[in-house]
Amino acid sequence: MSRQSILRASTTSGRIATPNVGSRSTGPSAAPTIGGFYGGLRDDTGKISEYSAKDDQCPICKTERYFNQKMRLLVSTCYHKMCDSCIERLYSLGPAPCPICGKTLRKMGFMTQTFEDLAVEKDVFIRRRIAKEFNKRRENFSSDKEYNDYLEDVEDITFNLINEVDVEKTEARIAAHREENAALIELNIQREERDVMAAQEEEERERQEKLERAKEIRREEELERAERAKESQRILEELARGKDAKQVVAQSREATAKREAKRLAERNAAIMATMASTNKRRGEALIPDPPHKPLADDWYDYGDKYVLRRDYDDAVSELVRGDMERLALAGGYRVEDAWNRAVRYAVAGLETTPLVGLPS
Amino acid sequence: MDAVEKANLSTSQKYSKEVKVGEGAYAVVYKGREIATGRQVAIKKIKVGQFKDGLDMSAVREVKYLRELQHDNVIALLDVFSSKTNLNLVLEFLDADLEIIIKDRSNVFQPADIKSWMVMTLRGLEFCHRNFILHRDLKPNNLLLASDGQLKIADFGLARDFADPNVKMTSQVITRWYRPPELLFGCRFYGPGSDMWSVGCIFAELMLRTPYLPGESDMDQLKVIFRALGTPTEDEWPGYTSLPDYMVVGQYPKTPLRDLFTAASTEAISLLAKLLAYAPGKRISAKEALHHAYFFQPPNPTHHSKLPKSKPAASQENDTPADKKAQNELYDSLKGGTGTRKRKSSMGHEGPGRPPPLRHGDMASTVTGSSSLRSP
Repeated sequence: MSRQSILRASTTSGRIATPNVGSRSTGPSAAPTIGGFYGGLRDDTGKISEYSAKDDQCPICKTERYFNQKMRLLVSTCYHKMCDSCIERLYSLGPAPCPICGKTLRKMGFMTQTFEDLAVEKDVFIRRRIAKEFNKRRENFSSDKEYNDYLEDVEDITFNLINEVDVEKTEARIAAHREENAALIELNIQREERDVMAAQEEEERERQEKLERAKEIRREEELERAERAKESQRILEELARGKDAKQVVAQSREATAKREAKRLAERNAAIMATMASTNKRRGEALIPDPPHKPLADDWYDYGDKYVLRRDYDDAVSELVRGDMERLALAGGYRVEDAWNRAVRYAVAGLETTPLVGLPS
Repeated sequence: MDAVEKANLSTSQKYSKEVKVGEGAYAVVYKGREIATGRQVAIKKIKVGQFKDGLDMSAVREVKYLRELQHDNVIALLDVFSSKTNLNLVLEFLDADLEIIIKDRSNVFQPADIKSWMVMTLRGLEFCHRNFILHRDLKPNNLLLASDGQLKIADFGLARDFADPNVKMTSQVITRWYRPPELLFGCRFYGPGSDMWSVGCIFAELMLRTPYLPGESDMDQLKVIFRALGTPTEDEWPGYTSLPDYMVVGQYPKTPLRDLFTAASTEAISLLAKLLAYAPGKRISAKEALHHAYFFQPPNPTHHSKLPKSKPAASQENDTPADKKAQNELYDSLKGGTGTRKRKSSMGHEGPGRPPPLRHGDMASTVTGSSSLRSP
């Protein structure tokens, strides 16, 4: 376990006063020793894999965590806690009764505690066990009702085991079910494994694709940077050779724009391809969305029939000159728009055929 | 009977009025049908004579500009005729508006859907601007949706053409939440950039599913804007401190848009930032916006026929008559033309007299008014 995750464990648990980093174990998680931190050991994903608390006490030998920082409290199959040294002492010579309830226990049967509440621990454990045996699926039944009845039965059995109602009878039911459906259970286990594998593969593939894309983009950016550096080098050289500055810059701009457009198109195509494949995998019927076209109408604006000058001798616009110019700028009014309109209307008017037959 | 009267009569006989759908201060809306084709239309009968100074200004505006604009993303004015002393506008029949879609929580918006609505809005607006027309009241409620999903800009009651350089325009336009800061500071010289701010607000609203800048009063609106986008600097927005109604609102820090729009792509954020630029001159134009990288980035904008649609207000098991349902829908589609008209008619004139400011209550009453009509 890394130093970072230990620190996170200690800061997020909220039960600790001070994280005791000094006695932190650096050993592998196969033999976890609980150092001076509480809340429990965490696995790589940050989930608690072994619970522990500051005020832990072994119910058998009454050792407290305060005296033995490295004490591990394990849980027996009868859901009683005891410390690792008690387990060693009581069960290293073979099966022996539980000091609390008298049930025969084995050293191998002790589990680590994940949840603070042992009732939850028990619940989760039993559900996990039942799910392994009662793994029939909807397709194993001919009707919803039968499937629902089966699920109801499973829930009954689980409840009985958790609350220790008719344990013997219930265990007999489980055994009978196991015997009856041995083949089916095995088959469903295999199916389950296959499904999980497939899901994992899919996830992995998507992750790879994303990684690939990110790598590609990074590579392109690098390329772009290199090209830009080359380009500016080239410009400098050409300027040194005494070429016209404006022309050189214009040329290089054009080249850059072209390159950029090409790159963008390539990237978009790649993204579209992966999206399309994802959609296909999900089995969606894809009605095509055409790519974006900025303008969809063919309305003619006479734009090619005139060139707007930069300035006009315009008495009317005097108002927005000078002081008003500042106001117009702040408000976004452009006198050029007014000129453009006047010129366009004039040009458009040139094509209008005169009306005939009007009374003079 | 002269030629004009004859033409008017033949136009009015092309349509049949069916049921009354809604009534506002300025117009009554009927559902109707074109007799020759059987296609549904909306007939907006404008009340004349109620105002002593003649025809209401917004009616004139609506007719004037809709007559000029023919575009897939602008509502079509099919005909105009008079009956007795009334003016009738025959408009395209539309099912819903974007506000209903945004509010309907059962709709899930894909990024591609938002892109598609933005494309259609910008195309329609670009067409208006290309024709030198400012809409001046863009909001989700005025973006109507046809049954095939096409979005159409409607309600040209506040529209006007680009002003000549020596003409002041009123700053009391655009519903408050979508009103750009330059108008809130009382600017009298503005341009297409002011519409673009509204588009930015609509874009944000599509992503958030709730109004982005909901100010409670004109003063509060500026505060809300500055709080969201930071107080502008003189560099960022040259000259704004000399605008007519300039006042100190307070210093607010800039927070990156990314903090609120966590799910948006980089390109979407970039477009939003350009639409909500403080300096109207630097704000992206409709045409530039349509060429923005956001629209070329995958996913492609959803085809309009696949966009989310509003569910009919009346459920199946309810014994609501079909025409009542249609009536409600039509009322919704035209409520911009009826419910909200009251305030607009009082401030339609571009004149020296300052029109009264819009009240928050107006907006609220529009919303509640429509919902009370919608529920069976």
